[in-house]
Amino acid sequence: MEFLALLSPEFFLLSAAGCLIGIIFGAIPGMTATMAVAVCLPLTYSLGLHEGLALLLGLYVGGISGGLVPAILLNIPGTPSSITTTFDGHPMAKAGEPEKALKICIVASLVGGLFSAVVLFFFAPMLADFAIKFSYIEKFLIIFFALTVIASLSKNILAGIFSGLLGVLLALIGTYDTSNGGNGEYRLMFDFMVPYLETGFSLLPVLIGLFGLATIFEEAEKGIKEEDTHSQIKLKGHKPFHFGVFKGQISNLIRSSSIGTFVGMLPGIGGSAASVLAYSQQKNLSKNPEKMGKGAAEGMVASESANNALTGGALIPLLSLGIPGDSTTAVLIGAFTLQGLQVGPLFIGEHMDTWYSMMAALLFANFVMFGAMFFAIRYIAKVVMVPKYILYPIIIMMCVIGAYAINYGIMFDVWTLLIFGLFGWLAGKIGIEVAPLVIGFILGGSAEVYFVKSIESYGTLSIFFTKSPIAVVLWLLILASVVFSILMHRKNKRLANQVEEANA
Amino acid sequence: MKKILSGVGVALCTLTMATSMQAQAADSPIKGNIRVVIGSSSTGGDTYQASSIIADALSEKLGANFKVDAVGVTAAFRALERVSNGSTIMVFHDQAYLGNLYGQKGYDDPFEKYTVGQTFAINPGNAYLVAKNSPYKSVQDVIDAAGSGKTVRVAIQPGGVSEIGYTAMKNAVRLQYPGMEDNLAPLNTGSQSDKNQAMFDGLADVINGSVQANEQYTRLPADDQKAMSFLWLTAREGTVKQANPEGMGGTSRDDLMKFVAPMVSVPMDESKNFTFDKEFFFIYNKETDPKIIAAMDVALEEIFKEGKVQETMKKSFFIPDFLPSNESQQYLMNKRDQYAKIIESLKK
Amino acid sequence: MSQSLSSLFEVSIDFDQSHLFFPTIVITLIALMALWIVAANAKQWVARVRSGELRLSPFNEHADKFRFFGTLVLVIVYFWSMDAVGQLFPNTGMGFLLTSIPFMLLLSLLYVHGITSRVLLGIGLNSIIAPVAAWYLLGQLFAISLP
Repeated sequence: MEFLALLSPEFFLLSAAGCLIGIIFGAIPGMTATMAVAVCLPLTYSLGLHEGLALLLGLYVGGISGGLVPAILLNIPGTPSSITTTFDGHPMAKAGEPEKALKICIVASLVGGLFSAVVLFFFAPMLADFAIKFSYIEKFLIIFFALTVIASLSKNILAGIFSGLLGVLLALIGTYDTSNGGNGEYRLMFDFMVPYLETGFSLLPVLIGLFGLATIFEEAEKGIKEEDTHSQIKLKGHKPFHFGVFKGQISNLIRSSSIGTFVGMLPGIGGSAASVLAYSQQKNLSKNPEKMGKGAAEGMVASESANNALTGGALIPLLSLGIPGDSTTAVLIGAFTLQGLQVGPLFIGEHMDTWYSMMAALLFANFVMFGAMFFAIRYIAKVVMVPKYILYPIIIMMCVIGAYAINYGIMFDVWTLLIFGLFGWLAGKIGIEVAPLVIGFILGGSAEVYFVKSIESYGTLSIFFTKSPIAVVLWLLILASVVFSILMHRKNKRLANQVEEANA
Repeated sequence: MKKILSGVGVALCTLTMATSMQAQAADSPIKGNIRVVIGSSSTGGDTYQASSIIADALSEKLGANFKVDAVGVTAAFRALERVSNGSTIMVFHDQAYLGNLYGQKGYDDPFEKYTVGQTFAINPGNAYLVAKNSPYKSVQDVIDAAGSGKTVRVAIQPGGVSEIGYTAMKNAVRLQYPGMEDNLAPLNTGSQSDKNQAMFDGLADVINGSVQANEQYTRLPADDQKAMSFLWLTAREGTVKQANPEGMGGTSRDDLMKFVAPMVSVPMDESKNFTFDKEFFFIYNKETDPKIIAAMDVALEEIFKEGKVQETMKKSFFIPDFLPSNESQQYLMNKRDQYAKIIESLKK
Repeated sequence: MSQSLSSLFEVSIDFDQSHLFFPTIVITLIALMALWIVAANAKQWVARVRSGELRLSPFNEHADKFRFFGTLVLVIVYFWSMDAVGQLFPNTGMGFLLTSIPFMLLLSLLYVHGITSRVLLGIGLNSIIAPVAAWYLLGQLFAISLP
């Protein structure tokens, strides 16, 4: 096999280095995997194709994985797709078990990453042909399906749906972008806002504003009380992590990894939908759905395995259709063109060496990620012990860098941080739920495009039901998801009433 | 406390001095860190790639540090408006004026509001494709079909480079079959993936695409549902001729030439064929010191004389195309006026 | 019957106006949800405001307004000055570096309880080292755009 000759020590070194840098980027709130890949893209010019790809794939895997660290320790999603990791990861860390939470997530990440790499290797061209069966309509239904998570995620179902819709509305502000198929007209803003909001609010600043800055405002209002030493004692006093927590999680792991791979594979759905979908399905099927959102291992497993499964999934359309599956793979295309190589339906067959070496880099990077993070955890987890008066200024500073850099240097993105920081602080007080709002915001843009384009193309609403068998299956899933969450809310209410009665 | 504060003060002073000294090092009007904002927000796209190639060459030539920032159209124009000292410059392509011609929001007339500068490269890849099993085998088939009253749907991204070839075809229908031009209907989509998908879904008969992104699809066997054929490359004959003989992927330059005027003709008026080269050029703030633009002229002139940058460009399927600022402005204005006429003639 | 049913579903969107189609739907839904929420909770709210249980001020009862507004003012000044200073040294990241140091110092001083000289040293070092490290590693080494 010729490709074995390509696997030089430098090749592995670069993949590992990429992975480590990626983890750091992912772990800094506000820095994302996409940014890591974009920043290192010029380096690959001098490296040559295979080494360059090894570096970038390492960055990709590391960046997606690193996002779990701030999600768990600081309640700030390090990358947009780790938002669902905060739901259970942070409560567990707060309960004094940050190490355990991190370890669960890292193992889940590894499983998700490997799962998707294997799927990529064996089924890429076949799955690509399946992916193009998803037209506007099926894509809209998938997004709609992901939006149903709002119902099961919210504490108060009315407030939750309201917040979700508000999030969708916020996502629509700005231009109906022609690059998404829109007509380029402005909506939902006054004239004076046009210079700033022409392209709308950017996801990342909104996210770190709502999660990062808002928390700091809340804490400032409470007077920045340092937690006394008992939380540090707790850090040691708990049962250590044991692989036993994965007992009964096998089906969860496989399902969530499949969802992640699948969502990654569909261009235009957006990576964040993967973990959201996986999380909601786990909640719907869980035996103890009431525990999710309060530090349940199964929630973390679902979220992290799905978001790492994204990596392999998003590479499927890239390598077998020439179309990126998410924002990071969109940057990855640049690495190929820089070397005068085009990806497309014939790519794998014509460049077997490159294909094999990419797979080697991808697998290797997953193991490096696991090794590096699993053993660095005891140090990483100490972040929770840094006093707030040191930690918070650093968080704000890093958020500023992230917000400014996400669109390559736009000052309004930094102000967006502040706007949504204040909004997030206020939202909690008036009953607006942040998690549904963010999910609405993330999915709102593509929901619009696919919904409007479907109707534009077919001129009737009935097409949503009759387009294809896939559409029918998706409707069944949507229905099931809605029914599950209604049942769950009823059950919770009953439980709450019983508790009240018992107390009375 | 005092000690720390004075320590901070000292550190600040040293830093400030260090940077200002760095800035004074070179004597050229172009020095230090130059920000190149581009009208695309993608770092995987052709604008970013072309800009990076030229920025690297300029950095080396001038000993300055050119850095490409993919901020997108609106933000790029705003950044350019704000900074007139030459430390921020912009690179964009024909979209800069086409967006204005098509009346897109956020596009001012670039020739009026900014100083349009040197052209440096062409992406010759702008293409129109059909499904391999399509009844349309040539642009003329499409024109005839529309002329005979059949609706032909073309997937484009409205308002610019992606639409101009569609406008030209529509104009050709108007010339040959007056009054029938509306049978060539636009299907407004966004990304390349959406356009391809529109073809797979049977929503579009013709799609806008590019040699780079679609070449492999044209080599798929006809029974593959993804298979496509080129119909037309909008670039000029003289442009494609300059490409490396290997062409792109498995399609040689000679094969590509079969889809270029005059082999494929889309008449613009009685005497001329329509062509469109997607050209990349610099744009400066209106107040920019002419000395800076002149220095860029000199630097680019030398870079292109050395010939290294041409090879790099061709390797990435760009065609080198340098015009100094005094020529490029007139050239691009003429180009704009030509297209303005066609767009105008199709308006109702 | 089936004919009229299918025509019931027919919707045509004018492309020129398509940018308003979805926002209109979403706004309508939001308005409906808002009405529903008000209808479901109005009585309870009024009762709670009357009894003084629900406060109309956004602040908690024992809010530390000094630290809250201190944070707000510092952040606003920080964001604004970063851009302004950045204009003086274009494309060097100096706007970020030169404003981050005093910002971090002041914010830490605002937040800290019980100042000792050791704490002060920690704050001072942190507010210099963190921005310089970030500026050097991210801005210089990785060439990330900073203000």
